[in-house]
Formats: sequence, structure tokens, C-alpha cells
Amino acid sequence: MKALNYLRADTIDSALQYLDEFKQDIRIIAGGTDLVVRLKQDMVKENNILDISRIKELNGIFRENGTIHVLPLTTHTDILESEVIDKYAFILREACATIGSPQIRNRGTLGGNIVNASPAGDSISALFVQTAKLKLKSINGERVVSIEEFFTGPGKTILKPNELLVDIFMPELEENETGFFKKLGQRDALAISVLNVAVKMRRRGAGTNTFDRAVVAFGAVAPTVVRGRRVENAIISSSLDSSKQIHYIARLAFREVSPISDIRASLKYRQDMSINLLYEGLLDLRANDWKRKT
Amino acid sequence: MIMEDFKYIGKSVPRIDAADKASGKIKYMSDLNFPGMLFGKILRAKYPHALIKKIDTSQAKALPGVVAVVTWEDVPGLNGFGIVTPDQPVLCKDKVRYIGDAVAAIAAETKELAEKALTLIDVEYEPLPVVDDPIKAIQSDSPKVHDDGNIHLHTKVVRGDVRKAFEEADLVIEHIYCTGEQEHAFLEIETGIARIEEDDILTIYAGSQYPQRDQMQLSRCLALNPCKIRVVSYPVGGAFGGKDELTIQPILGLLVLKTKRPVKMVMTREESVISYWKRHPMIMKYKTGVKKDGTLVANKVIIYADTGAYASLGGPVVNLAIEHACGPYKLSNVDIEGYCIYTNNGVSGAFRGFGVPETAFAIETQMDIIAEKLGINPIELRKKNALQKGDIAPVGNKLTTSVGTVAVLDGISKTKLWKEREKYLVKNTKKPWIKRGFGFALTYQGTGLGVGLPDYGGAILRFCENGGFEVGVGLVDYGQGIGTSYAQIAAEMMKCPIDKIKVVLGDTALTADSGPTSASRGLYLGGKATIIAAEKMMTVLKEKTSEMLKVSVDNLDAENGYICMKNQPEKKISYEEIAAQFMKETDHLPETEGYFLMPLADMKVENAFGLPHHIFAFSAHLALVEVNTLTGQTKVLKGAEVIDAGDVINRQGLEAQSEGGFVMGMGYGLFENMIIEKGIFKTTNFSTYIIPSAEDIPSDIETVTVTDPEETGPYRAKGVAETVMCATAPAITNAIYNAVGLRIFKLPATSELVYTLLEKKEEKCNESTN
Ligand SMILES: Cc1cc2nc3c(=O)[nH]c(=O)nc-3n(C[C@H](O)[C@H](O)[C@H](O)COP(=O)(O)OP(=O)(O)OC[C@H]3O[C@@H](n4cnc5c(N)ncnc54)[C@H](O)[C@@H]3O)c2cc1C
Repeated sequence: MKALNYLRADTIDSALQYLDEFKQDIRIIAGGTDLVVRLKQDMVKENNILDISRIKELNGIFRENGTIHVLPLTTHTDILESEVIDKYAFILREACATIGSPQIRNRGTLGGNIVNASPAGDSISALFVQTAKLKLKSINGERVVSIEEFFTGPGKTILKPNELLVDIFMPELEENETGFFKKLGQRDALAISVLNVAVKMRRRGAGTNTFDRAVVAFGAVAPTVVRGRRVENAIISSSLDSSKQIHYIARLAFREVSPISDIRASLKYRQDMSINLLYEGLLDLRANDWKRKT
Repeated sequence: MIMEDFKYIGKSVPRIDAADKASGKIKYMSDLNFPGMLFGKILRAKYPHALIKKIDTSQAKALPGVVAVVTWEDVPGLNGFGIVTPDQPVLCKDKVRYIGDAVAAIAAETKELAEKALTLIDVEYEPLPVVDDPIKAIQSDSPKVHDDGNIHLHTKVVRGDVRKAFEEADLVIEHIYCTGEQEHAFLEIETGIARIEEDDILTIYAGSQYPQRDQMQLSRCLALNPCKIRVVSYPVGGAFGGKDELTIQPILGLLVLKTKRPVKMVMTREESVISYWKRHPMIMKYKTGVKKDGTLVANKVIIYADTGAYASLGGPVVNLAIEHACGPYKLSNVDIEGYCIYTNNGVSGAFRGFGVPETAFAIETQMDIIAEKLGINPIELRKKNALQKGDIAPVGNKLTTSVGTVAVLDGISKTKLWKEREKYLVKNTKKPWIKRGFGFALTYQGTGLGVGLPDYGGAILRFCENGGFEVGVGLVDYGQGIGTSYAQIAAEMMKCPIDKIKVVLGDTALTADSGPTSASRGLYLGGKATIIAAEKMMTVLKEKTSEMLKVSVDNLDAENGYICMKNQPEKKISYEEIAAQFMKETDHLPETEGYFLMPLADMKVENAFGLPHHIFAFSAHLALVEVNTLTGQTKVLKGAEVIDAGDVINRQGLEAQSEGGFVMGMGYGLFENMIIEKGIFKTTNFSTYIIPSAEDIPSDIETVTVTDPEETGPYRAKGVAETVMCATAPAITNAIYNAVGLRIFKLPATSELVYTLLEKKEEKCNESTN
């Protein structure tokens, strides 16, 4: 591991100053659970490390006018322990519960998971279906982008070198909204997703199997997390009455994904699993009268 | 002897080193630092198979802070090591044979400098075709890994007339089984530190399984009188066979001799994975003949074992696989053949089970298939064929020691898992795609090194001033708990509290050579030697007391740290007083030694070195699984082991072995998939090489013991360290069959494999119904 110059910012402003000053040669560290691995592999080109982990303004979860804000330094453990999240952003909660192990969840942050931009980043699919938005800030000002626009490729985002992710926010899940996050890994903990799927659906009313809104996202089956629009359209234009019908809809998943073969799984397995995981998740949900799992 | 009469034997005794390990008080080798210490690094091969044309170290040597750069030219003795055949170079001269081969090594002032210097060594290679398929490798037109060809060893054991027996069989089952290359995955990676200590003794601190053999191998490589080498191989943070052979020690020693300074070397996980020992991947062709009534009549087996680039213990592994290839069953017509094959796929060596988990997977699947085809209860089928005391084992030896086959099979019905399996196997109506199944498998494992190898245990007992004793055994406690068992045995024998026993392990200067910590032999041999040393010590103490009390030795007894008079127990002298007396008289405390020779079988199997074994431990493994047919994922919900360990020395220790063995076998069966492509490792750390996590293991692993006492053993015990992992994988794959009707012939049964096979099966089903 190479020697690095360590810098620490305790406020957003000072972080932005540093980012501007060191331009392309500075790298943010939050929980470090991704970055330190990269450092050990000598895969970090920057020579300056900016520690943002003590910026208080970047830590916290709160509700405001029907919107849930999860600030980027919030750890996965914080998310699991939050009642607000449990009530209004439970799909994100289900995703964060599958990340790493207790130790990793204690250190790893939501902001880090997003900016790391792994196609297998588990919170990302959940944030896709919860239609999250990101606030990016630099010394020159700030901008808000939807999570879907943020990623351009594996490990690649539209974040500029002088920008900091300062807020992640999403609409509260409504009473009649349901959904799930499901992950397939090679083992039950400390497993990188072979693939994952997140679903949010709005039920037309109690007693029905119909939905007027659906958002579906798949992780680890394309260069970035991807939306499953064909599946969404199929869900809202039919009635999920039978497992046969659900399977029919789930099979559309293969049109949404463009996976590769790697050390963890083959292309074919990932393709089939995008169908089966979605199918299993929808069946589970139906068995529970479309209510979220508790 | 009644077990209840004992104070320590047969009880649950907590590990004597548990608190020190948990609190970090015990220093592992990577925790040691010496003043003036240098850091060592090894340059590994660039190709899995290549000729070395030139090695230029001048630039690395010129880098300030680099103290030594060594290549083959610097090896003072034999440039080779290997327990059986020293065919692995310390540093390669003209050829590299796997991607972890060592080409040069550096000692520098800092780790970073050493790393930098590695990049400055210029090695010119001429790549050779990679030999990566063991079956192709034994064909005559294959490129050769070693000049003598790619067959390191070929063993064939034939008994009876298989051809005739197959003709008479009512059913013949033929399948090919493949098993994976398992990584030991010990917590402590190969690590060591060495320096020259008093009297010019090169002292190597590096965890391993047999310090005295390390010393002899190092002596040969370094051209140094063994008396001038001390090896401290304990504490060690896990080994499982992976530290039986030398790892970093010769290079470490070389760098110290060259620099005359302490040198420390710590592998990374990735370097460890590519460079050191693994379980042999095997391809096993099985053909088993059986009568309608379930009597096994013939077994023909061919085993192809990929030993990688160097021999190490590949030959003995293949021979042990051959010996256990038929399982613990009566078979008088057998034709078992094994090839140990050189390739460029890393290096394979010793690993818990030593060939038995591989063949157990094959034979126990065969047995499950036979039971189903013949409509015989699988336990009854095994019982019908079970080897018993007095029977002739498949390779021809008569079993004269304890044989627990039937006891273990009968013990299955005592487990909670068996009793309640019907309840657990209820259909999941809410999630019909999740299917449960129950399976079991039987196995056994020889204790000790087998015929042909002198096999003995040794122990030193030192009397201490506090009236306690120090036990010195050359074996190591790498987690299996033998240190605690030696303490139990010594305390029981010496009639003193266990906290008065100190155990010293794995040190050529302080402990008696007791052979390798392998082959399930540690407790058996080290325990026996401790008993003998203790008997002698007891005589010494009684003699001294008899002088002190002026009574005859025959009138003396020992109790709770005292030697007392038989009929007048209040007349007694404490061990501490006896120690003081010795000190007063001679300024010296007595020391005794015990040596014990392993009993051997009364015959040897021709052309099969090490065969047969004489003492065996037995176990049955049970598993309840849940298979998700949508994803192929298998979850082991419950496990159980029924073990014949002879009499148990430490109940708690045995349970820990059983649970650990079950989980290791489960990893082997379901998860651990070392991927090597064209000699290059693709799964070099635990992000991609998947071992089970705490979340994956069953909440319940039961241990039931059935006792078939082994009269030759220490307190009638046998070694179980290996058998406890050997049949977990087939228990699980048999359970998968029970759940979804799918036979697994390849390990590990990963989710993707199970899913793919299920899909194929469905296609076939559709074809046949169409
Ligand atoms: C053993 C292990 C298991 C893991 N398991 C999982 C898993 O199951 N699922 C999963 O999704 N991930 C997993 N991870 C990855 C990792 O833990 C998560 O992605 C985590 O959320 C990263 O957060 P962090 O704070 O540690 O990020 P860091 O490592 O600190 O940073 C990651 C990247 O984000 C950038 N960054 C961080 N915060 C900001 C910010 N506010 N603004 C701009 N840039 C920022 C950094 O510069 C860096 O490039 C695992 C990692 C390990 C080591």
C-alpha cells in the first residue's frame, strides 16, 4: 500500500475547500470499507485522502414534508435501527440488512455504497425503486439528480471531482405501497450480490391483486443497476391473481438484464435468477396478502 | 475402569489456553518483533509453467535499504524440500512449475522497500504449455511438469476376482465423481520470524505441524547441522494439514543466514492461496456390484488425483484414498487404482481427511443409490455390509482393534434429528418451491501413519518447584485441543489439579519428538507417551517420598497433589515438599520421558506404501437440508454426528471437533470452489473463495458418541479429528437427493450447479412425457 497524505474535514464547507484545492488528486473516505480494499489492491490513483467521517452535518435520518432524508454518513446499522426507515423506507432497510456483516454495516455508509457505484451495491436497487434523489454540492453550488441518472458505468458516476454527496432523499412509502428487496449471494452473509432485485408497487385497494404503480430494479446484471420497465408495465396492466400469471410477468425480467459471466456466476444463471428471484419475491408478497414483511 | 472414577478424563474441560487466546495474551508468530528486524518478501513465478532463462537481481540489490536478494545460487544445501520426495526447489533455478513457485527472495529494512525491490528483479522466462488436466497429463504426449513424467505415483490394489463378481452381481452401479480443491482457510496465514540466537542457533518461529521434521528438512536445505537449528512451531493459528509440509521456513532461514539479522515474513491471503497446499481435486470412477439382498460383491475404482506441481504428501494421500475407497464395508473383490498426477495447478498436499472425504463422497453416494434401487433401508444396507472386528478390510488386513461401524449406525436412531426428522420434513405449502430432505453418510478414518513408517509418540515430563508438572510434546495444538487433553491426562495420572500442569508444544528445544500432528494421531500417540512419562514420574516421586518417610514404596499412594501412606492417609508429603527436597539434595528437579510405538497391522499391502492402518475411528453424519428449487440454494438446517471415538477424553473438545468438522465438510460440500484456469487462481481470497459464514451453518449440530473402547489407546481413546469432517458432504448431497431427487456427482454443490442440474432434469422429464 502506498503512502498517502491524510486530510480531515469537520464541516461541509471545509470539505468542499479541500476538494477544490486538490482537484483530481483527492479521494474522499467515509467508512472506508470499499476504499481501504481498493487501497490495498493499489487501485487508488489519488495521493490525498479526505476523511469526512466526522462531519456531523452529513449524518442523520429525518422526515420532512413527506420526504425521508438519509444523510450520506448514515451507516447501514443506523438504517437498520431507525424507526422512520422501518416505517417509510422499508425496502431500503431490507437491502441494508443484507450488506456484509455486522462489522461492515457498522462502518459502511449509505453515501459510500452509492458513490462506490458497484452494479452490485445493494442499497442502490432499493433506492431506485424508492425513487431517491441525490444532492451534490461543490464550492460552486449544488444540484439535485435522480439516483437513476447518477451512474454511468461500473464504478463510474456523474459526480465531479470537486463534488460531495450531501443528501439522499426519497418520498415516504405510502400506506398502500408494498415491495421487497431480495438478494442472491453465494452465502448468507458477507456475500456480494450475484444479483439482487427490488420492487415497489402501489395496490389499487385491499382485496385486489392489481397495482397502479410499480417500480422494479435489478442489481449486478448490467454495468449499472437497471430499471425493469417492461416488468413494471406488465404489473400495472394485469392482475397478479395466480402464480402462473406472476411467473409470466417475472419472465419478462430476462429482457431487462444484460449480465456477464464472472467468478461468482455465469451469464445464464444470472439471467434465470433475475426471473426466479423476482418470481419468488412476488409470490412471497402475495402469500402475505401483499403486505410488506415485518 | 469406570469413567466416573476419573477426575478429568471424560469430563468437559475448558481449553487451558482459551482465556489467553481470547484475550490476545498468546502471541502468534506475526505478533513477534525483534530488534533490528528485516522484512522478507518472495518473488513468485510469472507463469504457471516456464523455463527460466535469466535472473537479474542487480537493480534490486542496488536499491538502498535492500539488505539481501537471494536466488537458487544462494541455497547452501539441497535446493529441494518435500516430506516424501524433495522435488520442490527452495528457489527455482531453471524452471517454474506453478504460479506460486518461489524464484527469488528479498530482505529489506521495510516491507515497502522489499515490495519495491521485488519489482526490480528481472526474470526472463520462456513459457511452456500449461498442464492443467490431470487425465490428459498422464497421456504419453502430454508436456511434462517433471522430467520423469507426470505420474508421481500409481498404486493398484487387487483382491479377489472383480470380473467374476460383477458377472454374479444383480445390480452394478457406475458413476464418475469429481471433488474440488479445498483451501485450508486457517485464520493465521503462513507467517514467521527467524534470527540467530545464543550459541549461533538459527531459530525459526513459524507455525507448523512437526517442528522436528522441519528441522531436518531445513538442515538439508541450509547445509547446517540440525543441532544448530531450533524450530518453534507453536502457537499456530490453524493448520488442518496445510502446515504439515514446509512453507516459508527455508527462505526465512536462508535470508537470516545471509543477512545475519532477524527477518520476518508475513504472507497475504492472496499469496498464501496461490503458493501453498490444498486438498487434492479428484476424479473417481466407481463401479460397484451388489446382490439383490444388498450384499456388496465387487468394487472397481480408479482415482485420478491432481497433486499440482510437487509431490509433498500426494502419494500417501492417494494411498489413503485407496484404502478407504470402499468405505467401512466388507468387500472381498476389489480393484482399486490410484494415480497421483503432476500438473501446473498450484500444489496439493495434506488436508484433514487425507483422501477420505473425497472417496467417502463417492462410496456413500453409491450406497445411497444402491439402497434406493434395491428398495433397502439405507441404514440396513450399510449394516448388512458393515465391517466388524475380526473381518478382513477391503485392502486385505484383518481388523483386530475396535470397530464401531455397527455401533455408529445404531447410534443414528439416538439422535434428535433422526427421531424428529418426520416432523422436520413436512411439506412447505406456503412455499412449494422450497423442499426439505434428510440424508446421512458413514465414514471411518485410520489413525496414525500406517504400515511402513515408524510411528511413535514422545513426551517429556518435568517436575516443577511448585509441585506441578510441565508436559513437553513435539506435536502442536492448532485448535483441535490436544494441549488440554495432555493436561487432563497428566493431571489424572499424577493425581494433581489440572492447573498445576503446564503444556509445552512444538519446540525442538523443549519437547520430545512425537511425529507429525496429523493422521488423527495427536491425542493417541502424545497421550500414550504422556501416560508412560507420568508412570515413570510417579515412581520417582514415590521413591523420594519413601526415603523421606522411611517407608516402603509399596505402602505409598498418590492423591490430590500428595504422596501419602496407604493405610494412614494423614501421613503425607506434598509434591511441593518433594520438589523442595530434590532441590535441596541435587539442586535439580527430575524429568522423565515416555515413548510409545504405534501398534501396526500384521500385514502390509504390496506396492501401496503406508497401507494398511490398524486403528480406525468411525462416524455417521446426518443432515437436514432445504433446497430452493428456484435458485438452487441449499441451506443446511440441522446436522448431527454419531462418533465412535473410543472412550472420550474431553467431551467439550470432542463436541467442538464434531461441530467444526461438520462445518468444514459442509463448506467442502456446498461452497468451496477453487477456480483455477490455465494454472492461474481466480479465487484468491474470501471474497470469491466462499467458506461458510456463521449465518450459513445450522443452528443445531448434535454430537452423539457411541463407545467402542480402543484398548491400546490412552484411556481407551481414539483420534477423531479427521473422521468428523469426512462424510458431511455426502450426507448433505444425499439429503439434496431426498429433497429434490437430484444426484450430485460433483463437489461443491453450489447453488448454480444444483439449479442447472434441476433445470436439466426438468427438461428430461418434459422430453419423456411429451
Ligand atoms: C467484507 C465486505 C463486505 C461487503 N459486503 C457488501 C454487501 O453485501 N453489499 C454491498 O452493497 N456492499 C458491500 N460491501 C461494500 C461496502 O461496505 C459498502 O459499499 C459501503 O456502504 C461503503 O461505504 P463506506 O462508507 O465504507 O465507503 P468508503 O469506502 O469510505 O467510500 C467508497 C467510495 O465512495 C466515495 N464516497 C464516500 N462518501 C462520499 C460522499 N459523501 N461524497 C462523495 N464521495 C463519497 C469514496 O471516495 C469512495 O470512492 C462490502 C465490503 C466489505 C469490505
